[in-house]
Amino acid sequence: MRARLLLALGLAVAASSAAAEQAPAAAWMWDLPKYVPPPRVPADNPMSEEKFQLGRRLFFDKRVSGNGTLACSSCHLQERAFTDGRVVSVGSTGETTPRNAPSIVNAGWHATYTWANPALVTLERQMENPLFGERPTEMGVTDANKAEIVARFRADADYRKRFAAAFPEKADPISFETIIKAISAFQRGVISFDSRYDRYLQGKIKFTEQEQRGHDLYFGEKAECHHCHGSVNFDDQFVHAKTREAETPFHNTGLYDIDGKGAYPQPNRGLYDITADPDDMGKFRAPSLRNIAVTGPYMHDGTVATLADVIELYSQGGRKIDSGPNAGDGRASPLKSGLIVKIDMTPQEKADLLAFLKTLTDETLLASPRFSDPWKTAAAAK
Amino acid sequence: MRALQQIHRIAVAAGLLIAAVGAAQAASGKTQPVAISFAITADGKEVGCGAPLADLGSGRLAAKLHEARFYVYGFKLVDSKGGRTPVALTQSEWQYGDVALLDFKDARGGNAPCTESNPAKNTTIVGAVPAGSYVGLEFSIGAPVETIVDGKPVPINHSNVETAPPPLDVVGMAWNWQAGRRFVTIEVDPLSPVVKADGSKTRSWMVHIGSTGCKGNPATGEIVACARENRFAVSFDRFDPKTQRVELDFTRLFEKSDLLADKGGAVGCMSGPDDPECPAIFEALGLNLVESAPGAGDAGKQTKPGASSVFKVGAAAKPAKIAGGKQ
Repeated sequence: MRARLLLALGLAVAASSAAAEQAPAAAWMWDLPKYVPPPRVPADNPMSEEKFQLGRRLFFDKRVSGNGTLACSSCHLQERAFTDGRVVSVGSTGETTPRNAPSIVNAGWHATYTWANPALVTLERQMENPLFGERPTEMGVTDANKAEIVARFRADADYRKRFAAAFPEKADPISFETIIKAISAFQRGVISFDSRYDRYLQGKIKFTEQEQRGHDLYFGEKAECHHCHGSVNFDDQFVHAKTREAETPFHNTGLYDIDGKGAYPQPNRGLYDITADPDDMGKFRAPSLRNIAVTGPYMHDGTVATLADVIELYSQGGRKIDSGPNAGDGRASPLKSGLIVKIDMTPQEKADLLAFLKTLTDETLLASPRFSDPWKTAAAAK
Repeated sequence: MRALQQIHRIAVAAGLLIAAVGAAQAASGKTQPVAISFAITADGKEVGCGAPLADLGSGRLAAKLHEARFYVYGFKLVDSKGGRTPVALTQSEWQYGDVALLDFKDARGGNAPCTESNPAKNTTIVGAVPAGSYVGLEFSIGAPVETIVDGKPVPINHSNVETAPPPLDVVGMAWNWQAGRRFVTIEVDPLSPVVKADGSKTRSWMVHIGSTGCKGNPATGEIVACARENRFAVSFDRFDPKTQRVELDFTRLFEKSDLLADKGGAVGCMSGPDDPECPAIFEALGLNLVESAPGAGDAGKQTKPGASSVFKVGAAAKPAKIAGGKQ
């Protein structure tokens, strides 16, 4: 990974000197294996290293929140592949979110954002929700404190320099527009294609026999995991720079059926909460399975504790809840996706599948200084 | 790129409006200023700022105004033959293009009604029309998908709140989960708490109206369409801006709503088609919450064009001032 970065920088330097030292900023280069096309980048927010590094600082900075107590990184921890290990997350004022924190890794390739929202098709748009949302409050940015938050960064000489370098075209480079753009650029740059699986794809390693059996099960017609998690990012809403038409499937996987008609409990009814189409009840976006072994607990509401439990759930073709307010047999839900059927995997098959899923963990991502908390690094250097 | 365009638009918008007015002047000789006052009433009395609300909802309860603001657009004066003449809005922090934000709360908060020294934030639309004789008024509630500024379509409802010009930059009116704006935010606090279906209690009963069922295009990163637009028009055959005002009648709005209970969905009505509190609110507004008949395709459309039972013509408290809006 590091070697590739150095190479990329070297190339960038070569490219820029060839371009007659025109722009001081090194041209952004996507460091991707050849089976991954570059993501779509909004025309009004091009990538640059300066912007990525500014966004990285902001991502890890609690001053972005209204009361200065919460950073993006509070719910998106690098060592957990930018998830938080909680069932659901906690906002800056103590309110809990209704949903489990999704990973930001490889998010630049998502067609839609959050667990189920076809209206959010860019990271920039998605971010308005945790920043400005009121039900619940997450980052707690309001009309009343917005100017004060911006002033925190204007008062910081280092940030002034960094905003100016990241947004040289702007006379007044520090604003919520640029805060959002910089953090989005950082998120687009948080990429994970250096897992054991990637090394296997690149012919650098061979899988163990168990991993190989799990791989074959995953992509085979018994487990059929690949139907919804089949893209190079292990999801099915994968959009890249050259995508002309993006499909945005959402799925009901039989997690709940609280009324015998397929209902999911409020406030998490999935796509239905946006579209109000009864057919969309319980439909969620299939998340990327990259780094899935370190991103538990699982599902939109964090109600499945371990990856082994997830595999068991899909082996059963859904989830039956015996008691409590959400009791019901999701396995028999009339709204469940036709792709989710009882497949009764053997214990060996479940273990094999688990072994394969663990090959999707990218240790480079989890520890890379490039994606780490710059404030910790700065403190440690002192 | 878009940001640059936006700055350019802001810069030209003011000049443009002047140009537009100038063109109208050149064509018809001159223009006349228009000021249209709005007020909220409850139990027949004007309320606003921190004024207490009386006899509200099916329980005829006392309540406190927590929020009352909404976007309006497309103002037209109607002549005696039914012809419509658009009002060119004066561009200000409350008015952009043909869109304006009205806000009936005061800056100070507290429990007092509005006074001259503590006025509501913005309750008057100001602009100009070609000189002429007009007898009626028409306008719409909501933020349009786009409007024409500088002869070009400019996105409004789905524009970015961080880069949009005022009054579209108000975070409190952003509806981020639908990538758009709240058209209407009306929140009232009954004196005792609202009890939710699960037995928990909350303070405010909320009416949030906006387009729902919105969908973006992942290949372009733009919003393409919303299934239910939830915008509506108000049309008065007879309206004299000099002696009359537009009144939003809270008594009618909440007439069939139990403000102490929330039976499901968001607290109050946030435009959810299956929210048990929405049918009464949408009926009062004159909006179809859901399709009038299966396959009718009229969910989120106005039930009867131009008719909303909550908007009425009332006598102006005093002659509307032309320089009403803060600028």
